[in-house]
Amino acid sequence: MADQHVPTEKDFVPPAEAALVPPKAPTARQLAATGDASRGGIGAIPGRSGTERVVTVVVYGLLFALALLYFVPFVWMISTSLKTLPETAYFSLLPKDPSLHAYREALTTFHFARYAANSVGLAAAVSVVNVFLCSLGGYAFARLRFPGREVLFFAVLATLMVPDQLRLVPIFVKFSEWHLLGHYHGYVLVKLASAAQLFLMRQYFLTIPRDLEEAAKLDGAGYFKTFWKVMLPLAGPAIAAIAILEFEGTWNDFFWPLIIFQTSPDHFTLPVGIFSFVSEYQTQWPQLMASAVIAIAPIAVLYVFFQRYFVAGVASSGVKG
Amino acid sequence: MAATTAPNETRTRAFGSERFKEALVGYSFIAVPMLVYAVLFFYPIVYAIYISRYDWGVLGKIGDKGAGNYRELLHDERLRIAIKNGLKFTLAFTIFSMALGLFVAVVVNSAVRARGFFRSAYYFPSIASSAAITAIALFILSADGLFNKITGLNHAWFGESGTALWAIVGLNSWTTSGTVMLFYLAYLQSIPTDVYEAAAIDGAGAWRTFWKVTFPLLKPGHFFVSTLLVIGGLKMFDQAFIASGGTGGPNNATLVPVLYLYRVAFADANFGYAAAVGIALMLLMVTLTLIQRLTFGRGGAN
Repeated sequence: MADQHVPTEKDFVPPAEAALVPPKAPTARQLAATGDASRGGIGAIPGRSGTERVVTVVVYGLLFALALLYFVPFVWMISTSLKTLPETAYFSLLPKDPSLHAYREALTTFHFARYAANSVGLAAAVSVVNVFLCSLGGYAFARLRFPGREVLFFAVLATLMVPDQLRLVPIFVKFSEWHLLGHYHGYVLVKLASAAQLFLMRQYFLTIPRDLEEAAKLDGAGYFKTFWKVMLPLAGPAIAAIAILEFEGTWNDFFWPLIIFQTSPDHFTLPVGIFSFVSEYQTQWPQLMASAVIAIAPIAVLYVFFQRYFVAGVASSGVKG
Repeated sequence: MAATTAPNETRTRAFGSERFKEALVGYSFIAVPMLVYAVLFFYPIVYAIYISRYDWGVLGKIGDKGAGNYRELLHDERLRIAIKNGLKFTLAFTIFSMALGLFVAVVVNSAVRARGFFRSAYYFPSIASSAAITAIALFILSADGLFNKITGLNHAWFGESGTALWAIVGLNSWTTSGTVMLFYLAYLQSIPTDVYEAAAIDGAGAWRTFWKVTFPLLKPGHFFVSTLLVIGGLKMFDQAFIASGGTGGPNNATLVPVLYLYRVAFADANFGYAAAVGIALMLLMVTLTLIQRLTFGRGGAN
């Protein structure tokens, strides 16, 4: 599972191509390796064994104290979601009489079933179109020769520098003119082809040996067939990374769904639904925490199984706002 | 282009049409993404500049303003507040997430066993929904919430103008520290172990080793992480928007630049001015990044 070696972004970023990544970024391989216990840190300093033991105790004490800091909010969220409103006034970690009442209410009365369905649909759609378009584009930039290729590729990278807040007003005005506001396809359009993922695919295709393609070509396969039958199956790990990163990014996205669906509540995704719930019924804590669980749990499950791909995303996505 | 004149091209050269076909296929493979980038990235920049020269309402153009929107920027009190809040937030957020992230990275790196587990656990808040996390924070930091209960303090952290921005600083430093930790772990592991061996032979304790050896050697890491955090901090929106119910309150305490931009566009329906604010913010970000690169970055390359 988590420890299998799945090639991730860093495995396929040849050093010369890493121009996108900010100055002195750790490579994907470095990031991927940070979980391995194979290299010693301070703990591996040869020294007096007594001191070492003290250090070990201190280190693990700190690790568990920190784990409290990082887990308590989530534990508190789950615990509260199983309580009734009056019970939230008591600070018991375990609900006296755990019930799924808050979930039922959140899903039905407060429309979170609808929001969850919207989130799933949009995240899946964005994920699929990105896998398709970014692998086609990445393959073309990696392997096909056409005039203007370098200039166009530079343009792709340049889009990474355009901040969303600059695009907000013009895109809103144009989308309203084009009747794209309040429509699912309007949102998918904004997320249609991610430059970061296209770059990731290109880097991956660059690492696949050419012989395989040449062999396919000798067999008379056309360009698309070579791409589809030979190259795409070889790019499995990169495709998985894109699919997961785009799914997560869309699932958690707050900004664009807020802009595009602001006047059509039946299109809200989970994050926008949470905002609208907060503004209207702020102190219905159990229901609010239940909706937070609904928004967090699916990503937590994905994270447990596909941890390495999430780590691979750090370098390309940077810090969330 | 360089690729088309590579020496191994001689074979395809014999088939001129083959080369033409390859180019056609190439263009068709990239057609949709390039169209998207043209329409949704490059065109909007031009269009934003266009809009910014008009008085522009919900229904479109109202009147020509020339540079009027840009002149207004200079005398806009709320924009001044938003930028001040943005800078205050960014500075505090950068310092706290770096300190917490580095601390966690050093502790995790010192663990010989279960390092992978703790690393994954601490990174998790970074990938959880920002809206859901803000909801949890609203609950825990409410007047009768868990935080007050544990600390014995008594504040409605998001509800008071003196604490609201700091509550978001704390919240975001906490979530982002996981990402910072991942980067620092990578940098920590690129430090050769013999440096530590030398320090141990010199009799340096763990504390001294950290400040005299580890910390200075992490300089490229400090630079890289702080660059990311400053840009991320200036773009902060979700948490301030959700915690303040979209208002930037109480009393403009959480009015950060992007939230102000949103309000000018959608609460005031003043798109022309909002476009000008967007352009000004982008210039501010570019300037800060350049300053950072020139001052901090120079020595950063080891």
